Order: sequence, then C-alpha cells, then structure tokens
Amino acid sequence: MARKKLLEIENLKTYFDTWAGIVKAVDGVSLEVREGETLGLVGESGSGKSVTALSILRIVPQPGKIIEGKIIYKGENLLEKTENDLQKIRGKEIGYIFQDPATSLNPVFNIADQLIEVIRQHQKVTKKEALERAIELFRLVEIPDPQIKIWNYPHQLSGGMKQRIAVARALSCQPSLLLADEPTTNLDVTIQAQILQLMKSLKQKLGMSMVLISHDMGVVADVADRITVLYAGRICETADTKTIFYNPKHPYTIALLTAVPSLVLRRDKLSVIPGTIPNLIEPPSGCRFHPRCDYAKPICAERIPPLEEIETEHYVACHRVLEIDLKSPLGADAND
Amino acid sequence: MKKIKLVKPKPPVRREKNRSKGVSQWNIAWRRFKKNKAALAGALIIGFVLFLAAFDALIAPYPPNATPGFYIGEARVAPSLKYLFGTDYVGHDVFSQVVYGARSALYVGFGSAAIAMSIAVLVGLISGYYGGFVDNILMRTTEIFLVIPFLLILLVFLKVITAVVPSGVGGLSIVMIMIGLFSWAGNARIIRGEVLRVKESEFIEASKALGASKRRIVFRHIFPNVLHTIIVLTTLMIATAILVEAAVSFLGFGDPAAITWGQQLQKANEAVKEAWWEGVFPGLFITLLVLGFSLLGNGLRDALDPRLRE
Repeated sequence: MARKKLLEIENLKTYFDTWAGIVKAVDGVSLEVREGETLGLVGESGSGKSVTALSILRIVPQPGKIIEGKIIYKGENLLEKTENDLQKIRGKEIGYIFQDPATSLNPVFNIADQLIEVIRQHQKVTKKEALERAIELFRLVEIPDPQIKIWNYPHQLSGGMKQRIAVARALSCQPSLLLADEPTTNLDVTIQAQILQLMKSLKQKLGMSMVLISHDMGVVADVADRITVLYAGRICETADTKTIFYNPKHPYTIALLTAVPSLVLRRDKLSVIPGTIPNLIEPPSGCRFHPRCDYAKPICAERIPPLEEIETEHYVACHRVLEIDLKSPLGADAND
Repeated sequence: MKKIKLVKPKPPVRREKNRSKGVSQWNIAWRRFKKNKAALAGALIIGFVLFLAAFDALIAPYPPNATPGFYIGEARVAPSLKYLFGTDYVGHDVFSQVVYGARSALYVGFGSAAIAMSIAVLVGLISGYYGGFVDNILMRTTEIFLVIPFLLILLVFLKVITAVVPSGVGGLSIVMIMIGLFSWAGNARIIRGEVLRVKESEFIEASKALGASKRRIVFRHIFPNVLHTIIVLTTLMIATAILVEAAVSFLGFGDPAAITWGQQLQKANEAVKEAWWEGVFPGLFITLLVLGFSLLGNGLRDALDPRLRE
C-alpha cells in the first residue's frame, strides 16, 4: 500500500517581504508525494498552492523567500542544492505546467524551437534527434499533423492545443514528477476534460508522479489519488480522494465540498463560504479558519491546531475534530 | 437517352509547401509594413541615399574636393546644367560634394547608432534582468549621462580630442565614436523598461522552471522579445546621429577634412543671401535622410509591435 516517497516537504515556510509587511504565503506546509501517485493540492485562491509548487523548484518570484523547511526529493534536500544543480533538476527531473497556455509559450519562437531547446538543455542529442523526439512528443500528447503543427508559432494555435504543447514540453525529458499548476483553469470545459484525461493517461504510461494544483474539487476528484486541502498557507486535511469526499473531517473541507456546484445535490442556490481568505500579513491567531468556521470555539483562536493522524493516512488539523461529527455533503461513503 | 458524362475526378488539391512552415512574427511584421505607405517612402529615401553613397564616384561629375570652377571664375555660380546645384565660394561643385556627403552621413549614422545601441542593449538587458544592486549602479550611471548637456559635452570632448590626436587621423571616426558614446543613455532606459515588462511574462517563468540558466533566459528568451523595440530605437538613433553630426560640423567642431553635409552648411553660412544653393541642397539632403529614417522607424514600430495584430 504505502509506496515509496518521491518528494517530501517538511514544514515549508515561504514568505514574501513586501512594503506592506511580510506575507506568510506558505506557513509550515508538510506533505509527501509517493511514486506513481497523483496528489491533488486544493484550496481557494491565495491559499498558497502555487507558492508551494514554485518553492519545490525554488523559483518563487521576488520578493518571495523560502524561510524554513526541507524539500526532500529522491532523498536529497533541494533547498541545499546550488543553483547549477537545480537547473539540472528543473525540467529534467521535475516538469512544470503553468496555468495559462497563452502566455507560458514564448511568442517569438515556433514550437519546434521551444521543444528542442528544452530537450537539448538536458540531453546530449543533435538538433535532428531532438526534433524527432519533439515530433514523438506531439504524438504522445495527441496533436494531429505533428510534422506541420510543430513549425507553428504559439499564436497560430488554440488554447487547448497550446496546453497540450505545454504538457509535451514539461514531459520532454521524462521527469519523475510533474507539477501542474491549475493546468485546465483557463480552458473551456470540454477541452479541460480532454487535457485531464490526457494527463491521467500519460501519468500511467510514463509511470511518473504528479502534483495537481486546483481550486476545483471536481477536477481533482477525477485525477488525484490523494488530496491535500490548504487554507491560508497551512494544511487543513490530507487523505485519499475517497475519504476527502465522503468522510471529510475538517470544517473547511466540508465548506469547500458544499460550495461545489453539483448536479446530484439539487440546490436552488450555490452555497458560499462566508468571508474571504484572511490577510496573510497578519493572519488570524490559532486556527486560521476560525473566523469563518461555524464550529469555532475560544480554543481555536488561541492555539494552532496540529496536523494529527486521526485514521490511517488521514490527517486533520482541527481542535474539535473529535467533538464535532461532520457529515459529507455528498452523503455517506457510497461505495464508489 | 442521355449520354452519361463521365467526369474525371479532380486531383486532390496539393498542399502549398509553405504550409509546413509557421507564420512567424517577421512574416506578420513584413505584411503590415508593406501596407504602410509612409514607411515605404522612408525606406525608398534611405535606399536612394544608400545608392548615392555606394556609387558616389560614378554619380558625381567631379572628384571629391575638386574645384572645377575656381580657376575659370565660376565660384558661387547659380545651379545650371553644368553645375546641377551650383558651385560654392571656392568653386566646388555642390552636387558632387552633396553626393560624397552621403557616405559620411551614413557612416556616422550607422556607426554611432551601432555603438550607442550596443551599449544601450547591454545596459538595458543586464540592468533589467538582474535588478537589485547591478541595476542601481547601471541606472545611476545612465542618469549621469542623461543629465549632462549632451551637445555641450560632446563639443568639449571633440575639441580636446582633436587637440590631442594629430590632425587628419580619422576625424570623422572620432566624431562618430563620440556621438555613439554619449547618446546611449535614453535608449538604455527604454530597453530596460521593456525587459522589465517581458521578465514578468509567464513564459520566462516557464523556461526557468524547465531549467534554463540566467544567461540563456536573458539572451535567448528576453532579447528576441525586446528586439522589436531595439530595431525601432536603432532606426531613430541613426536619424539623431546624422543630425548631431551635422550640428557638430556646422558649429565647426567636426572634421574639416571630411566631406559632410554639415561642413557644407557651415561654409554656406556666410553667403546665405548671395548663394542660397550652397546651403539649401546639403540641408535638403540632411532633412530628407533624417525624415527617411524617422518614417522607417515609425513604420517599423507599427509593424513590429507584437501587441497589434490584424
């Protein structure tokens, strides 16, 4: 059951030192990605999902800084590596897919050049071999007419096509880990389903692990094996996908599930979580969710709830997890 | 009974060879540029002056600095068929001198622009991409160059250098180099601004995430994306350099041995009333060439801006 750990993040803290104060975007996140699995990273905008992913590759934009923590990839701490060593890991060992395919490709080069560049950066091959490899990648991501399409420029391609190319580029050196930062958010729904399907099958085919970042519970439900729910830079709950959906224990997870528009649960109004994500310069004391939480008690404002394993492989950070009996809005554990 | 016509099936439409190649930014720019009449006119003017410069010895009826009118009393004669633009006070054929001046103008224009833009691009790229301390140093230096009175300091330097360097040693080259060294600052700032804009693009972040080194990002990803700005600035820089050289020569700080339009203007200065042709024709050519580069520059700006699309 327990597969080997590929990536382990321990107590990661990434802060942004802005003129308004220090923004604690990621404040003590610990998670792990095992070999061959897909981890879904879920949370509202501003919960620290992307910053966590960017921290893994140490490409947090200025003025962001990793203050503390360990990022252990294949037994080595990435935070102790030199910039040169990291360049060999980025793109080769760990692939990255960005949110907006329209802007993540360089507009002045054709696709072939962009793919060849990445391939040649990490592998000693001739231009011709790299081109062949690029065309192969095009087939892999199911783009028709690869020989023709590969000479196109980004502006000649549709959004879905561009995201396929971004996937191809991220996979060009057969990474062991793929970080996908909201890869389908900017695509329309049918294309979204296609890309997710593609990523799912490629993950199987290439035997890699994946971290899928999304604010959309529906997206991760489909793809992820395990899910970590983030709120305001901290982890609320981590469990396998089924548990998160049918047996969630954190009030925030429940709130997120309730807010998903659903065809099954016919509701007249979409439910929303009252309030917005807190200011991360001066986050709420104790549990960061307590101002918006229906079950909050004085203790929630006083002490930070530790992340505890309440069942095997089910971690929850909530003071009242054992007192309140929460039910999933999706009903009890329906067997699949 | 009707006869059934057998229609031969049409052969499948062949794909154009072109289809296998993508439409690059250059293709788009060229298509846009072609539609711009003013820019084409500018290119035409520059082409004309380039032609004059390339074949000056063939076009000019007299050799450089020849004074065909001097001994036969034809100094300061009005334009005629013999002297197309008239002659000046020592009997130079103004037309010939104007033709020889084309080469100097282009030499100074391109040379100064090359020097100024090389510095500007380097400073702009490094300053914009690396930021922080490096940026601070480079930008403060740039500001020093921006606040000094450009023409004044140029004249002082030229005076000093021509005093130190023995006369006749590439006087025009000195002018060209000095113009280049003193006019990069404004362009460096513009390029830096563009770099800052491009630097924040997601594709830069993406290439970083895929393992590109800093140098690679600067030269391979940022540089081509600011190239359109650089091209436009270069074109306009050429125009400026030609004007500045004319001004320097007119003020008497240029190279008196070189045949330039500015020198001719200076000599014509004393006889504007009696011999208008001495000054008008070189002046006209300066205006024409500068106008040509300005039109071209503006046309290129419209054509190359990736934010505009048909």
